[in-house]
Amino acid sequence: MKALNESRATKVRRQVLRHFVLGFASILMIYPLLWMVMSSFKPDELIFSDPTALPTSFDLTSYFQGWFTFRESFTTFYMNSFIIAFFAVVGNLMACSMTAYAFARLEFRGRKIWFVLMLGTLMLPYHVTLVPQYVLFLKLGWVNTFLPLIVPKFLAVDAFFIFLMVQFFRGIPREIDEAAIMDGCGPWRIYWKIMLPLSTPVMATAAIFSFIWTYDDFLGPLIYLNDMSQYTVPLALRAFVDSSGGESLYGELFAMSTLSLVPVFIVFLAFQRLIIRGVALGALKR
Amino acid sequence: MTSVSTNPGGRSAPSTEGRFARIWRRNGAGYLFLLPWLVGFLGLTLGPTLASLYLSFTDYDLLTSPRWSGLKNYEYAAFYDRRLGKAIEVTFTYVLWSVPLKLTVALLLAMVLDRSVRGVAFYRATFYLPSLLGASVAIAVLWRQLFGADGLINQLLFFVTGIQGPAWITHPDYALSTLIVLAIWQFGSPMIIFLAGLRQVPQDLYEAASMDGASGWRQFWKITLPLLAPVIFFNLVLQTIEAFKAFTQAYIVSGGLGGPVDSTMFYSLYLYLEAFANFRMGYASALAWILLVIIAIFTAIAFGTSKYWVYYEDEQR
Repeated sequence: MKALNESRATKVRRQVLRHFVLGFASILMIYPLLWMVMSSFKPDELIFSDPTALPTSFDLTSYFQGWFTFRESFTTFYMNSFIIAFFAVVGNLMACSMTAYAFARLEFRGRKIWFVLMLGTLMLPYHVTLVPQYVLFLKLGWVNTFLPLIVPKFLAVDAFFIFLMVQFFRGIPREIDEAAIMDGCGPWRIYWKIMLPLSTPVMATAAIFSFIWTYDDFLGPLIYLNDMSQYTVPLALRAFVDSSGGESLYGELFAMSTLSLVPVFIVFLAFQRLIIRGVALGALKR
Repeated sequence: MTSVSTNPGGRSAPSTEGRFARIWRRNGAGYLFLLPWLVGFLGLTLGPTLASLYLSFTDYDLLTSPRWSGLKNYEYAAFYDRRLGKAIEVTFTYVLWSVPLKLTVALLLAMVLDRSVRGVAFYRATFYLPSLLGASVAIAVLWRQLFGADGLINQLLFFVTGIQGPAWITHPDYALSTLIVLAIWQFGSPMIIFLAGLRQVPQDLYEAASMDGASGWRQFWKITLPLLAPVIFFNLVLQTIEAFKAFTQAYIVSGGLGGPVDSTMFYSLYLYLEAFANFRMGYASALAWILLVIIAIFTAIAFGTSKYWVYYEDEQR
């Protein structure tokens, strides 16, 4: 009886300790973000004077001024970002799912070799193709348009998503498409009417990650978009860093940075479980 | 319509369809579905890969056509390019500090978080959020301010200890460590992978070990760590490759120049500058291939040594 009590006490103590560690870690993780959000509502002269104080009032000046800092307003930058992200998501979903369907279900000569090559591209660092791709797009006259950022997605260059979808398609019972073949369905109808509707979880995961990765992408737009009217949000934020040698733009910088995180944050809140499962899945299905 | 030739081999059936039609029937659908990827693979991956190998043996500035220069680029990289030496040193320092620290923090918190804690979902989300946001320019911009001369870090430091901290971002001795801290801050995604791995460890092993009087420390070394080895291996390889490829954070934090005094000159940043600021496309291609080899060597070492420390459950010991 005594031993039982003791173990219960240690259990409680352990729980308290755990929550202490976890709570402390959470604050450490979130505080930088909070600081940024709070600073975005403060006048510049208060940002660097007091680390803890909440803003005395919700001053939206920085947001208004930040939005119109440059020759082009952030309306343009957000439009550009969302246009590119939209087409990237559509392209990735279409092209990667078609490829994955071919690898998972269709018979054709050379399938194994292509599949191995596809897996090989997973390991290839982007640096290797960077220069020749740039030369190619330059020759095509695509530099300073969105095309270099969109067209590759319609050609399924993100092998990671193909891999994810192949794994998922293989888990769908073959009896289902065999029955459909009996009913006279061709591969196109099986893909469109059976595989895709049954694959919403993996399609959603792919859509979420391709949105976030495209929206956050910096190197691609940095290389291909030169004109400010073409800038995406990350490029515009970079322009702040370049020009904030004068100490006057901190509030605007914080405001626009905070705002730029909102889309990803909303996606995270809405699809938290899918995202976390997607991350865990990456590991367990090697 | 082609019911005649569906019998296997098709030899006895009179060939009502030509050779070409038969090949098409057997492979056509597959290749139609594969077509977008195939075009992308040949035109945007394989072609450029071969092109970059070729370019790495040339001088190429985009304006005039590439001029063959043999091994000159590689010789320059190996023996003369001081900045490349610095870039490799910086990148290795970054990889060798950030990856082990990140994985240690991830594993520790995954273990604290495992199962019995109330509010797991909340903590998990909180710890993961930085991983999701961390790749963005906004966070890099924030980091510049956090570790600036009057940033939050120095404010807190002064508040707690009364010491006036240095301007971390612009000090050659500290700039890289702020980037390492930024990497560790994003421990959430390996943590989630660890959590998923921990779920697969059978609980009765711990119960049996407790019965035998094994301490928590011993249980960690004898049960948790060996059973988690495949997941640790996966995280290690993945995070190492990612760390080698890091670009955005160094670019933003250093204002695009890899400074101060090249102390944040990541390999990717150096390659970018050579290609798109100095227009030495041939040399940049050589740098890309050198990086490919470095990553391949690291991966090979990981896989080569893995048989000594990674056991898979379905494997005979």
